[in-house]
Formats: sequence, structure tokens, C-alpha cells
Amino acid sequence: MDQFFQQLVNGLTLGSLYALIAVGYTVVYGIVQLINFAHGEVFMIGAFGALTTYLLFFDGQTGVWILPIMMVGAIIAAVGTAVLMERVAYRPLRSAPRLAPLITAIGISVFLQEFVRLFYQKIPDFPSAKQRIPFPQIDVVTGQALEVGGVTIQRSAVFTILALLACSGLLWYFINRTRMGRGMQAVSQDPDTARLMGINVDRIIVVAFALGAVLAAVAGVSQGLQNNNIDFRMGFLAGLKAFTAAVLGGIGNIQGAVVGGLVLGVVEAMATQYIPGQFGGSTWKDVWAFVILILVLVFRPQGLLGARVVDRA
Amino acid sequence: MMRIPNLPESFTSKHAAKGWPLGLAGVALLIIGSFLSWSYDSNILGDLSFILYPGGLQILAIIGAVIGLLLLLIVKGPLADRFGPWLDAALGIRALGVWMLAYMVLVLVAITTESTGLINVDPGGWVSFVGALLLFLAGRFIPLREHRDLSRAKVPGWAEVLAVAIVMAAVLFGAAFALGREDAWSFILFLVFAGGIAAMMIRSGLLTWFGHVSQRQKKVLTLSAFLVAFLFPFTQSGSDANMSIATQVLVFAATAMGLNIVVGLAGLLDLGYIAFLGSGAYVAATMSQSAFATIGWKPPFLVVVLVGACVAALLGLVIGSPTLRVSGDYLAIVTLGFGEIFRFAMFNLDGNNGPNLTNGPNGIPGIPDLQIGGFNFGDEHTVAGIDLGRFSNYYFLLLILIGGVILVFSRLNNSRIGRGWVAIREDEKAAEAMGVNVFGLKLLAFAVGAFLAGLAGTIKAHQDGAVSPDQYMFLESAFLLAAIVLGGMGTIAGVLLGATILKLLPEKLRFFSEYRLLLFGLLLVLMMRVRPEGLVASKRRQLEFHEDDEELAVAVESDLVGETK
Repeated sequence: MDQFFQQLVNGLTLGSLYALIAVGYTVVYGIVQLINFAHGEVFMIGAFGALTTYLLFFDGQTGVWILPIMMVGAIIAAVGTAVLMERVAYRPLRSAPRLAPLITAIGISVFLQEFVRLFYQKIPDFPSAKQRIPFPQIDVVTGQALEVGGVTIQRSAVFTILALLACSGLLWYFINRTRMGRGMQAVSQDPDTARLMGINVDRIIVVAFALGAVLAAVAGVSQGLQNNNIDFRMGFLAGLKAFTAAVLGGIGNIQGAVVGGLVLGVVEAMATQYIPGQFGGSTWKDVWAFVILILVLVFRPQGLLGARVVDRA
Repeated sequence: MMRIPNLPESFTSKHAAKGWPLGLAGVALLIIGSFLSWSYDSNILGDLSFILYPGGLQILAIIGAVIGLLLLLIVKGPLADRFGPWLDAALGIRALGVWMLAYMVLVLVAITTESTGLINVDPGGWVSFVGALLLFLAGRFIPLREHRDLSRAKVPGWAEVLAVAIVMAAVLFGAAFALGREDAWSFILFLVFAGGIAAMMIRSGLLTWFGHVSQRQKKVLTLSAFLVAFLFPFTQSGSDANMSIATQVLVFAATAMGLNIVVGLAGLLDLGYIAFLGSGAYVAATMSQSAFATIGWKPPFLVVVLVGACVAALLGLVIGSPTLRVSGDYLAIVTLGFGEIFRFAMFNLDGNNGPNLTNGPNGIPGIPDLQIGGFNFGDEHTVAGIDLGRFSNYYFLLLILIGGVILVFSRLNNSRIGRGWVAIREDEKAAEAMGVNVFGLKLLAFAVGAFLAGLAGTIKAHQDGAVSPDQYMFLESAFLLAAIVLGGMGTIAGVLLGATILKLLPEKLRFFSEYRLLLFGLLLVLMMRVRPEGLVASKRRQLEFHEDDEELAVAVESDLVGETK
């Protein structure tokens, strides 16, 4: 039974990470019906933004008060990237056939990865991003793991889960209680009518990108704390998994993304533990995640909680 | 496109008469300079230091000058009566002038940077440079004229065939010449020259005319294109390095053509296409005579080809049938996920984490050369005194493959199925309402594409001699997609061009290999913004990307009416 709870905790940690990223996919998709394939890279850039802030101002220190400032650095980097890519690459293609923005997204994704790989070390005294870079260890959120009745819980895992809780709360407040959030709901339901009602659709779209980027940045910092290192490739697989989570929960549905992320994380963790024989174990867990994606599309294409997308095809 | 501002009208009209002699002088100087020495240093750019014995780059300059001369004679002179009313020679000279000037400037830059400074430029180089400058100025002065519709130009049939032959010969020599350049500068200069010729053809209307000709002489064009491709190994006199690049280009192009059916015709974005190539390759590897092959059954290659292609098609059906029912965006991601599953699976099936099928990360090395009947593909042959090595054998085999793929592509495109795909691409719901079997046709596209990729994969495994999971990364799928986007979705010539560019440039321009992927990503983004229909675009495709272009819509409609007549 201990093992079950251990895997549950592992799964929830992993799932929180997926959920944070998945919200970015789902918000953007709900509003512009675009899979922002480069969202995984926004997550990666968030992690690098946090690292950059640390290396520039606090190199060698470990105080927990650094964390919020790193977080701000991560958010600035991620939001900047996301807003820029919306403005430069996606906006001109808004009325183009759907293939065009998808291909653009692949281009952005490759470009951002290579940009970080090649140019991160050009900042004076910075490590080369061609290998994994150690992520700073911060007091309180990293270090000695907690033991709760036979279950080992990493401090960074607690941080990740708490971050998800806090972000979900704020997100709920933003979407349901602020003018901008209700504008977003309106645009996702019917952009033309929303525009007639005086909502600035362009601005709402930018806000959607920025919102996703904020959560991705938080996820980037969590990932860095959990793995102790980051690299330029980290966004690819994480992005893919997070998209799976978004589909699993029902694309366009924000609660769905959170639930989907958690479910995916738990399933992955349980698969490593309980699938017998050679196909169990951690080497196959990524495969199981994609198998789940395909199964969901076969049996419940609208996702667990139902998609919230107006079909405009 | 870069635009150079025109001179003020009043100025050009006053000096219009001077344009022609100016151009003539430019042509003369360009040729004279090319027969002199360009560079004091004889070790750079393939030796341009002889007098009266022009080197490769100088011959290009002479060809450019001769074309300029022909255009000048069309403007005024013996050719004016025949061709003057049809071809826009003045615009052609403008384009040629700009590019030849750029060419000469780059030559001077190349000599300066490759050697020890501008001092190494010999008088010939300066003479040619001045010639190009004069040609450029002449293009600015010669007035433009109205021209007749080129589609009505009446040219005897033999002349059309001759035109096709000339273009094809130019392509063959261009390809051989480009591959023969060993330094990056020479290669870039050749590209500039080729760009100049292309720009001249576009601007003067020659390309439009050639388009009409190729419509009328389709068979001649196709046959001569294959003849040229067939003759290519004979121009390389057994150079393994170049033939290796050429075979890689062909495998890539064949796979891209297969993907073109899925993406270009049916409009389904498949981001895991490389996995189908990989499954074909792995089937061939596991059934080969390699000591590391894991399956005891070692049938003849023709059986392996069929098995490989069918396994790939089967995988295509398994992935396609659940995802093709939902929105197209899902398909992109699911296929991407499938590509990753494939790579993970090949990585894991090493005996520890699963049954031993693929040797895991080590892959299966030591795959012997193909043996079909009594013919071994590893043997060298000498035909007409020219050595044809191992790569040439594969080159010919791949040529047959790519011919087959193109045949499948064009037959499908011109059939009821192809029209169904067009309908699905443009409006899925309307197509369904009209009774098009949307799901069936999509699945067919997916399966055919996978089948062809599996076919190519079986050959690739033998040609490479080894398979490993890392050959089938997502990036490779992205490259295939980029070849299609760059060249022009749904076209044959475009995709062949795109595949060639994407494979050849990195091989020849090694100095930017570090920035290759960065530029690649940027290229995709820019392409989608500036010219989403690709370099060679079909009109209908162009219309899909530029819906509010009324003129184009009319043109497409009249074409369609013409087709049905």
C-alpha cells in the first residue's frame, strides 16, 4: 500500500506540472482554435528566465526569498516570448488555412530551442546551454525529502502541488470575476458577437497567450527545482504531454486541463508500478501516455470533462 | 522581393536611346573581363587566374553576358521582329542586370575575404565588374513596352521540344556544376547566378511561356526530366562523395513526395511521417542478412519490400482510423505522439525492456548491400568508360522508386479521389454534404502515404547499412514537412526542389551547420508569412492561401473551365 501512495504522490507531482502547462494550450485553443505547438518552448524559456535571474543577481545564494524574484524573472521571460510570438508570427495568419499556423508553430519551436542552445552562453560568464545546466538549489523548497508514513515526498513536489493550487485559484478568480476574464469567456463563445459588444478581441488573444505563459513559467521553475537541472530540449516532451493532458480533460476547458494533467500524471506513475513484465518500468511510461491520448480520441474525443470549443471549421 | 527604385521618368525617357549601346558595352566588357584573370591568387574559387582560359565562375559570367546579349537583340536588332512583341526583354535585362551585378560584387567580396584583400583582384575582375554595372544601368534606361498574351504564342512543335531539352540540359549541367564546387563561396556564387537566370526568365515572361509549353508537351518534359536524372551519375565520374549526397537527396525527396500526398493533396498534417520510413527500414533490417538481425526469416528483397510497406501502411491505418474522425489539429499532435512512440519503442525493444527486436539504442548495423537476382548493389560497374560505384546503383534504384511515387501521386491527383481530396481540403463539411466519403478518403491518403514511406524505408536501410532509433527523430519529420512547404504543397516540381534545397545546402555550406536548425525554424515562420504557397505554387493552392485575391480567383476559374472542355 505504501507503494501505491508513493506512486500517487509521484503522479500528482508530475500531473501538477502537466496541468500547469496544459492550461496554456487549452486557453489559447479555446479562444483562437490554434494549437500553440511552441507552448512547450515557452515553458523552457520560463525555466531559463528563472535561471538567468538567479545567475545575474543571486549567484551562490540559497535563501528562500530569492524564489519569488526568480519566479518574476521566469514570468517576464515567458510572457515576453509568448506575446512576441503571437504578435509576430500568429496574428498575421489568423485568417489563413489551419495548416499555416501549425507549421509556423513548429518553426517557432525549433527556432526557440536553437536560439537558447546557441546564444545562452553568449551572455558573459553564463554556462553553455548545449548540455544540461544545474538549476539553483533553494532553501525550504529543495533539500531533505519529507517522510510521511513510509511515503517519501520531495520538497519540490510539495512546492509544485501548492503552486498548482494557488495558480488554479487565481486563474478561477481571473476568468470568472474580472472584466478581462469574462471578456475571454465571451470571445471563446463567439468572437464576432464579442467584438460587436465592444470587446477588444486582439487584446483578449494576447492576454490568453500571456496567461498560458505565466503558468508555464511557474511550471518551468518547478521542473527546475524537481530535476535539479534544465536544458533546451525540456519543452518538447513536456509540451507534448501537456497537450495530451489538455485533450484528455477536454480541449478549451480550463478545469479539464487541470484534471487531465493530474490524471495523466497519476496514470503514468501507476503504469511504471503496476504494468507487469517487460513493458512496465519507466522506459515505457512515455509510450503509455501517448497510448492514452489515442484511446481518449477513440472513445471520448470531447475529453473527460467535455470540450468547450465552438466548432468554427 | 527586393525592389530597386526606378529612375525618374523624365530622366529615363531623355536617355532611353542610350540604354541599348550601354548594355552592349556592358556585355562586351563582361565577356572580355572573363577571358582575363580575375584573381591573382590561384588557390581560391577553383583557380580564376588564367588569361584566355576562363574558370568555372568566369564561364558563368560569360553565359550571363550571352543571355544579356540575346535579350538586347530582342529589344532592338535582328531578333526584335520575331520575339520583340512577345517577350518582355527590357524587364529581363533589368532582372539580369541586378543579379549579374550582385554576382560580380560577391565575386570581388569572395576574392577579398578568401585571399588577403582587395589587392588580389586582377584587372579582369574589375573589367567584368564594370561590365555588370553597365548592364545594370542599361536595364534601368531601356524603356518597357506592352506585350501580347504569351499563351497565344505559336511556336512549331520541334521548337517547343527543343526548349524543353535546353532547359533540362541546363538543369543537368547546373546540378553537376553545383555539386562540383568544393568551396562554399563558389557554391553561393553559383546560387546567385542560378537565381539571376531564374529571375530573368520570370521577368521576361520566358517562364510563363515555358509553363504553357510544359502543359502542351507534358510527356516530353517528364521523359526528359527522367533522362536527365538518369544521366546525372555519368557526370560525376565515380565521385562517391557527390553520389552519396545525391542518393540522400533522392531518399529524402521520395519520402517527401509520399508525405506530399498526405499533406499536399489531402491536407492532413502528419508530424510523425518519419516513423513510417523508420518502420520500413526496421523491417528490412530485421529481415536482412545482417549478423544483428533479430528475425530468422530472411526472404528475398522483393518480399521484404512488400512486408515493409504493408507494415507501415498497417501502422498508418492503426493511427489514422481513430484520429481522422476528429478535427485535423488533433491529427498533427497524435501523429507527433506516434512518431515519438515509434522512437521509444525502437529504443526499448532491446531484450531488457521488451522482446529483443531492434537491439535498442545500438540499432542494427552491418546490413549487407542489396541483392536482387544476380545483381549486387555493392559492386562497381563501368559503363562507357565511366565508373558507377555503389551509390550510383542505389541512385538508379531510388530513381525508379521516385518515379513510381510520382506516378502514384499524379494519378491519384487527377482522379476522382484527388478531386475528393481537394473538396475535403477546401471545405470538409460541404464535401461531406456532397456525398464525398470524407473518412474513407482521408484514411486512404494516410495509408498510401505510409505505404510509400515504408517502401522507401526498406531501400534506405540497405543503402545506409545500419538503422538506429536516432535516425527517426521528430526533427526529421519536420524537415520533410519543410521540404513540402518550401517547395509548394501539392506540386511535384516544387517538392523535388524543396527536398533538394534542404538536403543540398547543408552539405555544401558546412560553415553554417551550427546555425542550420536556427535558420530552418526561421525559414518555416517566414515562409508561412511571406509565401505560404511555396516557391512553386499551383494556382489553386495559391488561391487557398490568398482568398481575397480576385484576379487569381478568375484565373483559376478559367483554368477549371478549360479543363472540363
